[in-house]
Amino acid sequence: MNNQKRNTILFILLTLGLILLFFVNISFGSISIPFKEIYTSLTGGQASKSTWEYIIINYRLPKAITAILVGMGLSISGLLMQTLFRNPLAGPYVLGLSSGASLGVAFVILGASLLPPFLSTILLSSYGVVLASTIGSSVVLLAVLVVSQRLRDTMAILIVGLMFGSFTSAIVGVLTYFSSAEQLQKFTFWSMGNLGNLSWSSVSILTICVGIGLLLSLFSIKPLNALLLGENYARSLGLNFKKTRLIIIFATSILAGSITAYAGPIAFIGLAVPHIAKLIFQTSNHSILYWSTLLLGASILLFCDVISELPALEIMLPINAVTSIIGAPVVIWLLVRKQKMIA
Amino acid sequence: MKFFFKLILFVFSLATIVGCKKSENLDLKGSTNSENTIKYASGLSINTFEGYSVVKVSNPWPEANKNFTYILKEKNGSIPDSLQKYPTIQVPLQSIVVTSTTNIPFLEMLRVEKSLVGFPHTDYVSSEKTRKRIDAGRVKNIGQNEKLNMEQLIELAPDLIVTFGIDNNNPMIDNLQKSGLKVLIQADWMEQTPLGKAEWIKLYGALFGKQKEAKTLFDEIVKNYNDGIQLVAAQKPTATVLYGSMYGDQWYVARGNSWVAQFMKDAKANYLWANVEGTGSLSLPFEKILEKAKTAKYWIATGSFKSITELKNSNPHYNQFDALKSNNVYTFESKLGATGGTIYYELAPSRPDLVLKDCIKIFHPELLPNYTFTFAQKLN
Repeated sequence: MNNQKRNTILFILLTLGLILLFFVNISFGSISIPFKEIYTSLTGGQASKSTWEYIIINYRLPKAITAILVGMGLSISGLLMQTLFRNPLAGPYVLGLSSGASLGVAFVILGASLLPPFLSTILLSSYGVVLASTIGSSVVLLAVLVVSQRLRDTMAILIVGLMFGSFTSAIVGVLTYFSSAEQLQKFTFWSMGNLGNLSWSSVSILTICVGIGLLLSLFSIKPLNALLLGENYARSLGLNFKKTRLIIIFATSILAGSITAYAGPIAFIGLAVPHIAKLIFQTSNHSILYWSTLLLGASILLFCDVISELPALEIMLPINAVTSIIGAPVVIWLLVRKQKMIA
Repeated sequence: MKFFFKLILFVFSLATIVGCKKSENLDLKGSTNSENTIKYASGLSINTFEGYSVVKVSNPWPEANKNFTYILKEKNGSIPDSLQKYPTIQVPLQSIVVTSTTNIPFLEMLRVEKSLVGFPHTDYVSSEKTRKRIDAGRVKNIGQNEKLNMEQLIELAPDLIVTFGIDNNNPMIDNLQKSGLKVLIQADWMEQTPLGKAEWIKLYGALFGKQKEAKTLFDEIVKNYNDGIQLVAAQKPTATVLYGSMYGDQWYVARGNSWVAQFMKDAKANYLWANVEGTGSLSLPFEKILEKAKTAKYWIATGSFKSITELKNSNPHYNQFDALKSNNVYTFESKLGATGGTIYYELAPSRPDLVLKDCIKIFHPELLPNYTFTFAQKLN
């Protein structure tokens, strides 16, 4: 079977898998709702219980869409970072964007008592947390951009990103130390990731942000392929490296910043999904990797969300833990298998 | 091999017998001279003898594998040899450090708040009396419970540090003792009955030589609490109650045998999770909560919400509950002290009678028409 045919089949399978997982995600939750009722609610009809209708339309549906957006956005920013930095360990968080977002949220949640009461009331609402998170990641982004103007070496930017991460984590640590149990609890829950508390208006804003990020990344497919050959070689091919780098950093920041703001820091997806895509499609061509990463990211997060709900059980696992617990062994297994095949 | 096994068995049996004998000694003394004066608190016992009293703290933290015995020695009192191995605390105390805000009201009720010389994270303290002393620099801020400022404590040299452990590993407490400070582990927070928590005032009574005052104060609380129960005795628990709030994806409800559930039961309310066995809280997915509590008449929200709007803004799904639509949402945690401490956390454990009265006012307002809430607040 030639590669193109194989890829076409894989794409069809992935798309079908994504559609299937989307419906599985909506169908299963901690309470069991008959499929007929789910179908009725989704097609605009009236379910026999108003709570069922609400759960499907206003809880499970936005959650499934959020999972798709988060999965796509984080995976693509992971892919962009890994190619830009030519480092398999790079992910959307290496630039310190997630740490920046965490710092913003930490200031609001943990440092609220230091602010005047009227300000802390506004900031402690759900919008306040989103605002703080976006400001946090944007501040780090601006700092990284300023540094990247001065540094030619991409690896140096990677290190600067890591340093920003450490710096912000340290401040979060200090804030944590002086916080009350209630504040700590709130921050801990935010840091565990959460897909389920988004209203439709939040989902719309997230869709716009992720849409912009994905569109920008789509335009960088060609330069990314050139970048695989190395920065100097890419330059000799006529690539405006500085501009490309800016676009990629900007796209990643929008993706990681908005997602972290709404869903909290979600581990593993950004780092691992591009690897899974590369292993399945066995290519480094970004015009294939882009779409496969997109589909895989969305499917994997939908799957993790189904697992986190533990259908029909009364407990729920934090999505952040599920993504790592399920994802990490899969990546290890795939890597070992690939090595064996090569050997 | 068999021999060794038998030997181990023998040594073990011997140790058990000796151990039993020792505790027998203690109990024997108790039965001849004194009896435990504690009725409601399950983790505390106080036996008073001439010149000293024996305080036992059991179940100090979840799944604790040890109990604590302390001897409170009065001036000129002598302690029998069999009790010498336990930590001895000279009473009445002149200075004390406590580490939980729940202890502050006990000190104030007994009018010994002036002996408080240190507290960790003093901002949590809401009581005006003690706040004045903190602001005047008479109560030192001594770090945080898990990381107390050792140097400051050594310099303060209080007669006693009353603290609490959260699991079997408490290096901080060991360090305090190693540096020669007297430490007493208390466990009022582990009590699951309203009166059980409040009865710990008797420990402070014993520490400050105010046993009688502590008894009188506690008896009054018991009387008030029982009066409350009598008041609703004829009522039917028809008011359905949703409890808790959402943190992330999880909704925390109080289990059926918890402190909170007990108040609702005593106030004759129909708490929707009253049948869930156990203490503490249970985390449930939102779907489960909505299905069960959509039509609940009342919602006791956790968290320091000030208004319905603030509550609505914090989570888009809250709008679904009938209790919110009909403005029947209450919270006990919105009243804060001058520096941000939650008054309910501080005062409620020592005044369960007031909490019960608040609950009765919420669920059966017609019974207490002129009563104003102490802790609870209706969100508008």
